[in-house]
Amino acid sequence: MSQEHSSSRSSVSRIDASVSLPVRLFIISSILWLLVASVLSLIVALKLQVPSFLSDCAWFTYGRLEVLQRNAFIYGWASNALFALNLWIMSSLARFELKSSWLPVLGGLVWNLTLTYGLIQVLLGQLNGFALLEMPKEVAPAMVVAFLFAALWPAVAFARRPTGNVFVSQWYIIGATFVFPVITVVAQLMLLWCPTLGVMQALVHSWFYQNLILLWLGGSALSAIYYFIAKESGRTISAYYLATVGFWTYFLFASWTGPATLLGAPIPVWLQSVGVVAALMMLVPIVITAVNFFGTLAPRSGIAQSWNNTTLRFVLVGTVSFIVSALLSVVFSTRSLNALVRFTEFTQAQEHLAVYSFVSMVIFGAAYYILPRLTGSFWPSAKLVHLHFWASTLGSLLFVVAGLNHGWAAHGRTDFAVSALPGLVAAALLFVGHFAFALNAFGMLTAEEAPSSRRSY
Amino acid sequence: MKNLNLILAGVFFTLAASFGGLLLSGQVQLGQLNRAPAEEGGPLFPAKEPGLAIQGRQVYISLGCVACHTQQVRPAGQGNDIARGWAARPSVARDYILQSQVLIGSHRLGPDLVNYGARVKSDDELHTYLRTSVAGSVMPAYGFLYTQSKDGSFRPTEDAVALVAYLKSLKIDYSSPEAKLKQ
Ligand code: HEC
Repeated sequence: MSQEHSSSRSSVSRIDASVSLPVRLFIISSILWLLVASVLSLIVALKLQVPSFLSDCAWFTYGRLEVLQRNAFIYGWASNALFALNLWIMSSLARFELKSSWLPVLGGLVWNLTLTYGLIQVLLGQLNGFALLEMPKEVAPAMVVAFLFAALWPAVAFARRPTGNVFVSQWYIIGATFVFPVITVVAQLMLLWCPTLGVMQALVHSWFYQNLILLWLGGSALSAIYYFIAKESGRTISAYYLATVGFWTYFLFASWTGPATLLGAPIPVWLQSVGVVAALMMLVPIVITAVNFFGTLAPRSGIAQSWNNTTLRFVLVGTVSFIVSALLSVVFSTRSLNALVRFTEFTQAQEHLAVYSFVSMVIFGAAYYILPRLTGSFWPSAKLVHLHFWASTLGSLLFVVAGLNHGWAAHGRTDFAVSALPGLVAAALLFVGHFAFALNAFGMLTAEEAPSSRRSY
Repeated sequence: MKNLNLILAGVFFTLAASFGGLLLSGQVQLGQLNRAPAEEGGPLFPAKEPGLAIQGRQVYISLGCVACHTQQVRPAGQGNDIARGWAARPSVARDYILQSQVLIGSHRLGPDLVNYGARVKSDDELHTYLRTSVAGSVMPAYGFLYTQSKDGSFRPTEDAVALVAYLKSLKIDYSSPEAKLKQ
């Protein structure tokens, strides 16, 4: 599929070597969590098809497994992978050699151990009702501290960079990294430690949730899109002067969109309206990023060239998904349309589009670029890369289209039929894709250790 | 934009602005709500929850029922919740003030439960429903909440009893100052 290997360096650069250990730890953990989350998605999808499957024991009820899946995916897979991406991208942009790599390693270990502990507690029934805050409250302080150790380094790299140059990716990384601990601490305090009254909780949760998805995950992924589009196409970002505006408007408006996810809920109507306005204003950063990305790639058959490059192919799917998901949120935060699809699989499909088709596809693309540079070896199998790409792309396409379609159709109906089969097939496809990815990645990471391996510089 | 502090300050400002604009002002408006009578001098609503119902909420949370069930009814004109018979009036903020953890939910694979207590017929019926669910439904059966005695009859565990008390306590069959029941 790709010519990327021809450009791979003959040895691992000093900067890459300095971050190698933590980046590897993050990537390995993220892939393991991805596998866990994929198996859980399969089980959850199967339970919708066959509700009696694994239903004889409280541990494996739909409600708990769904919580496990979501947390393993967001905190285990996406967050670990973004630790890796942010650190690697920032070090290479800021020419930063990490001296004390044991600190992020420690952070990563604590993060993963706490997450494991939290998820076991959930399995045993110690959970809360707030999405992505379900783990027992004693978990959060440890995770925030672990986050600081694991994710602080890009900011250090940025502060110590030798040149004055700044690239837009760097702002997104700094911003995204700042957001996570702040919103987590605020939400934990206002929901679990000293809970606010009544539906204030729903409001706080919506604020936390939107910031987490759009700013921590989305912001980090946008940074990677800017980086890889510029790097792999060898072009300068078109209309680059707009990128600053894009960055600030994205952060400014995204963090107000929470109430737009609560339309019709028993919270004051003016708050809902503020959310809707913020959601509409998101058009500004969406248009700017679209101009930046497609303005860069579209001329001189850049899209076709990107399609032949593994990293860019994944990133391209992620970019298109970002735009589509962002536009869908804009359109469906208008009250009348929102009323039709709220609570249905439509919203689930929208969310999948954001956290999978956008954020995860970008991470995959980045991993295909970063790992060879860290290990100095090649991806063992191009076939597996193909398999991964198509299984992931088609699987998420199926999930999204079936969900949007079913959710849209649901407003006319009063029964509770679910479109379980497409979800199951999609989960199976994603599982195949992730398995292929994991095989390839672990093949590469272990092959390198063996001296007789196929290093062909 | 070259300066770390500048970016941090800017991002801090954006978060602080939404925190203040949404959460603090929301708190000013919602944080003071009290129980109130529908009419001057009438009984205060929402009613205090029975202790068993409070235990039942923990069971509801711990089994993750919120994954499939919401507890909020939107106003007429914003969705068809009222037309579907889930409640006679929309939910209002005051309905939730006594709940330790608010479970308004965001996804409906099954019906809304905010007024379920007003439509459930009997404890036995509800126990049978939770133990066996109904054929062809996505709603899982929660058989492990029951033990079978020698004569073949099923006895609810403490969790099941609490859960049923909780489900029965879910009611918005009273008028509140913000939303009157029509008839
Ligand atoms: C996988 C999704 C799912 C989960 C999890 C789930 N339910 Fe349900 N529930 C449904 C569906 C679907 C229905 C509608 C059943 C039907 O008629 O087809 C339903 C119906 C009900 C009803 C009857 C409502 C009415 O208006 O008649 C009650 C009560 C109920 N569920 C309680 C619970 C409780 C308590 C839990 C947690 C222990 C729970 N459900 C978990 C999907 C779910």
